[in-house]
Amino acid sequence: MKRAANCLLLFTSAMLAATLLSGCKPSSTSHTGSDTVRLAVIPKGTSHEFWKSVHFGAQKAATEIGDVEIIWRGPVVESDTGSQIEVVKDMITMGVDGIVLAPNQKGGLVDAVDEAIGEDIPVVIFDSGLDDGPKIVSYVATNNFKGGQMAGDAMAKAIGEKGNVILLRYLAGSESTEQREEGFLDAIAKYPDITVVSSDEYAGDNATKAKEKADQLIQLHGETLDGMFAVCEPNANGTLEAIKNAGMAGKIKLIAFDPSDALIKALRDGHCHGIVLQDPVQMGYLSVISLVDSINGKSIPEFQSTGEYLATQDNMDGEPIKQLLKPELME
Amino acid sequence: MNALLEVSRISKRFGPTIALDNVSMTAQAGRVLALIGENGAGKSTLLKTLSGAHRPDHGTMSIDGQSYRPAGPIDARSRGVAIVYQELTLAPDLSIEDNIMLGRSGTVAGTLLRSRQRQRVQKAMDQVGLSSISPKARTGDQSVATQQLIEVARALVSDAKIILFDEPTSSLPAADVDRLFQIVDTLRSRGLAIIYISHFLEEVRRIADDYAVLRDGHSVGAGQLSQISDDQIISLMVGRDVDDLFPAVPHEIGSARLDIDRLTAAPVPHNVSLSLRRGEIFGVAGLVGAGRTELLRCLFAMQPTRSGTVRLDGRPLPQRINARRRAGLGLLSEDRKTEGLAQNLSITENLSMGNHQRYSTLGCLNLNARSEDAKRWIEKVEIKAQHPNQCVAELSGGNQQKVALARLLAQDAEIYLLDEPTKGIDVGTKAEIYRIMGQLAAQGKTVVFVSSYLPELLAVCDRVGVMSRGRMTEVRVTKDWNEEELMLAALAATEDE
Amino acid sequence: MSDRPTPNHRARWSVLLRHGPSLALLFIIALFALLDWQFGSGRFFSSRNAGVIVNSAALVAVPALGMTMIIIAGGIDLSAGTALTLCGTVMAIAFRDYTIPADQAGAATWIALALALGLGVGILCGLINGLIISLSEMVPFIVTLGTMTIFLGVGQVLAEESTVYPQNTHLPDWLRYLCYTGSNTDYYWFSFLPIPSSALIAIVLGIAVALLMHFTVFGRNIVAIGSNPLTARLCGIRVGLTTTWVYALAGVFVGLGALLYFANVKNGNPSDGTGKELEIIAAVVLGGGSLSGGRGSILGTIVGALIIKTISSGCTMLSIPNTYTHIIIGVIIIIAVLIDGLRNGKPKWLFARLASG
Repeated sequence: MKRAANCLLLFTSAMLAATLLSGCKPSSTSHTGSDTVRLAVIPKGTSHEFWKSVHFGAQKAATEIGDVEIIWRGPVVESDTGSQIEVVKDMITMGVDGIVLAPNQKGGLVDAVDEAIGEDIPVVIFDSGLDDGPKIVSYVATNNFKGGQMAGDAMAKAIGEKGNVILLRYLAGSESTEQREEGFLDAIAKYPDITVVSSDEYAGDNATKAKEKADQLIQLHGETLDGMFAVCEPNANGTLEAIKNAGMAGKIKLIAFDPSDALIKALRDGHCHGIVLQDPVQMGYLSVISLVDSINGKSIPEFQSTGEYLATQDNMDGEPIKQLLKPELME
Repeated sequence: MNALLEVSRISKRFGPTIALDNVSMTAQAGRVLALIGENGAGKSTLLKTLSGAHRPDHGTMSIDGQSYRPAGPIDARSRGVAIVYQELTLAPDLSIEDNIMLGRSGTVAGTLLRSRQRQRVQKAMDQVGLSSISPKARTGDQSVATQQLIEVARALVSDAKIILFDEPTSSLPAADVDRLFQIVDTLRSRGLAIIYISHFLEEVRRIADDYAVLRDGHSVGAGQLSQISDDQIISLMVGRDVDDLFPAVPHEIGSARLDIDRLTAAPVPHNVSLSLRRGEIFGVAGLVGAGRTELLRCLFAMQPTRSGTVRLDGRPLPQRINARRRAGLGLLSEDRKTEGLAQNLSITENLSMGNHQRYSTLGCLNLNARSEDAKRWIEKVEIKAQHPNQCVAELSGGNQQKVALARLLAQDAEIYLLDEPTKGIDVGTKAEIYRIMGQLAAQGKTVVFVSSYLPELLAVCDRVGVMSRGRMTEVRVTKDWNEEELMLAALAATEDE
Repeated sequence: MSDRPTPNHRARWSVLLRHGPSLALLFIIALFALLDWQFGSGRFFSSRNAGVIVNSAALVAVPALGMTMIIIAGGIDLSAGTALTLCGTVMAIAFRDYTIPADQAGAATWIALALALGLGVGILCGLINGLIISLSEMVPFIVTLGTMTIFLGVGQVLAEESTVYPQNTHLPDWLRYLCYTGSNTDYYWFSFLPIPSSALIAIVLGIAVALLMHFTVFGRNIVAIGSNPLTARLCGIRVGLTTTWVYALAGVFVGLGALLYFANVKNGNPSDGTGKELEIIAAVVLGGGSLSGGRGSILGTIVGALIIKTISSGCTMLSIPNTYTHIIIGVIIIIAVLIDGLRNGKPKWLFARLASG
């Protein structure tokens, strides 16, 4: 009986070897032809529309340049650093010509990026920063600190420069949102009559958790609360729901960061008083352009901003805000 | 005589194992047929074939002259064949009524149906003598005996013509056995055919009219019970002459070893004092629930005692199982399925459990020594198995019991506490177990033998004590007892209180 | 008499099934290699990818070794994931606040203390689980469900609801490159053997646990307890004590797993752990571990971890969307358990039909 099993094992291995040797190598060479540049674009996750717009921009750049293939791959487990490290390593294995990465955590991805650079694969970081160390090509992102300041100013304007506001944070360790949070607090500090009653709550990475957190905060501060700033899209969606449920829509001024259908509608209805916008399409576009330029030997600036904008009820139907509120998506 | 059920030349194999080989049998209306055979003889397979759980490979069956080929248990029941299994198959959380009607078609909820159903249930319950119990009572709250009768009622409610009993008394105390027999009598007088499997020849004599003996899947004899002696039946069953069902091994009784002083636990035993001697087989009789099992478990520290002391060779024993094991006590559990053996482990694994110190140094095992040891024990107690790594669940009941016993022997205990060691195993294996007990006594060990089967207590033990309601009411030398007195002692004390 | 498939009949099945996980792994590798050759980059079947896969498998396999012991003993540990990140967080805090730069004299002592602290927390977590389970006789599922959130909460308190970044200069190089899979051979333990150090650790630990399970009384007692605790008790095995030890020992592997986790992501984030326990349990189950206890295999568990990581790597290489990766892994887990059931004569209706038909 044991022999039978061993035979089977041998047989399988033999089959394996045979398939490999007689393999269809020719068909794969066409994929890896030397003139096609293969770039991996690795977002933090794949389920938010923001990333789909980045994908659109990246693809747009690839089409413009020509002979560039975009491999779009997010971590298997969203917002899990280990999972994203695996994807980076897999991309190195695949022998891509360059990597565009939005790191989940500024510290966790350093060694993976180092490994890629060690294998002569250039890396562009986008959206969210990476700890110092690796010699990356460029950092392409919204100036999140500045975006946060815009949110702070918009908040001040919305509540008449006095009152109580809440800053609802995203996740600890996410560089981009931390910058926004700091920018917001920095701007608010200019207004002596505005009090930040809560700035140490983390809303988590989905709308459901964010709504729970916002519910609790509204419960706690209720009547005295004048404004809330939610630092990213799922947060803002959850917060909007919580405010509506509490019957405080319009009374508590909501400033959001990144748009969604619900938020755009709320902006029109006056339930939301400002959305800070980034340009994800530009982010994907510029990252890929920079990476290809760098491969072709051009020098690229260390940091490239893709701009930040404030959408309000008044300007939401004009360009460029209208376009930024509904950026193109990669299907 | 006209046969109600006719089984002719039935064969059934499972892989290479032939469970039934050309078995023929007839059962008549208004008579009780005892189906006799050792464990593994094919009785249960035959019963399952009759009840539709298995399909025969060859052969035919007929009821009232019409061909009978049940597609499954439900089909069998609709043809009037019902079975009462050895292990209870009731759902404990359902009411008695629901259990009786379980699996019957036409039980869609609705008042009309419900009331008609209640009538049928009540009628069936009256027939088995359960008229005093509400059909709405929860089944799990009833005693084992009552549950057994509920099973019978379940068979009756389907208008069965043939009822199969698979060792129904093995889980019943003696008093309830009588009640069951009365009901079997009633069923017989109403013209039903009863097929009854039992290990107890006495029982068979009391209840059955005819017999059919199976051995290794063959029919080896059938006829009327009045025309055959017990010894003849036994030799048919085991295929050899059993001169002595109870092999006597001469042994000498020595000085006192185990002193039990006013041992009390909640709820039983109560105030038990005993002195057990070297080389003695001490029998414990009594009804189920009298505290016999609990006494053994208290001695082995498996359940806490409230007061009293246990001394071995004058030294008090600590209250921990493995301390008592080390001191030389060993317990054979009454329940080999759920406690005595790890069913999904191999024979070797079961034999070595708790006995690892025999072949390990500093906690590291010598696997060779272990498997050698296992082989030795398998030979020594004649465990019939394909190889030492065979899973225990694949063995017959008797062989499983031998594995459990061998583990106890491997432990090399001084005091053997055997709780119903012969329950549910065949005559041949029983005799071997008696012989092993005799040999232990001859080696100067002490054996405590709990059994509900009085003839074996009287044949094997040096002294027998009777327990009732947790007390050890009477201890006599075996020759001063007979079955009636033992039974009386077990019952009489109950009535005193 | 027997109503189950007879032993001989089953032996033929069971030999195949005993090697089931390994055969499945070979099949999956062959399948992905073929598909990748045909449609992908052709790099799936490469030594580099082997390194990447064994590294990520090691991250799951090491804590799964402890889980295997627990599952063989008839228990389960849902808290493994958060306990792991709790240990990682503690290590990160130690490397942030209490160590000195790795190149200074005497740094080794501090590093050893920091790692010992993380390991100690792992053992403590296991011990807490074990003590609660054996003293209260509550179901392990419920107990560890409770401790799962407790460990998460403790981690969050320690990390102040944030991610703890150690001071990079305090990390010794060997720790830094524990999960290195690149081509610079200087970063491997043995420069002639470019196998990720994490995988070497997993192999050594796997062998140790396999020896423990097979050749020690303690190991056999674990099997006995998982198979039938009542019998084990009857045989004088101290069930509660052994159970406690098993959980504590599993805590050691959680601690070691945390070391790899920490070396991989270089920070401590307590909430990273939620969900990890399921991956760990999946590896054990894929390897033939039975959640009803008494059965499980160390080799199987390691193979199980490899299967999970091979699939996720293969899917990445083939650009199969993540959503499908989840579905594929889920389907494979169910198929594995189904095949495992066949070994035990389940489903019953199928075998009844085979026997009578």
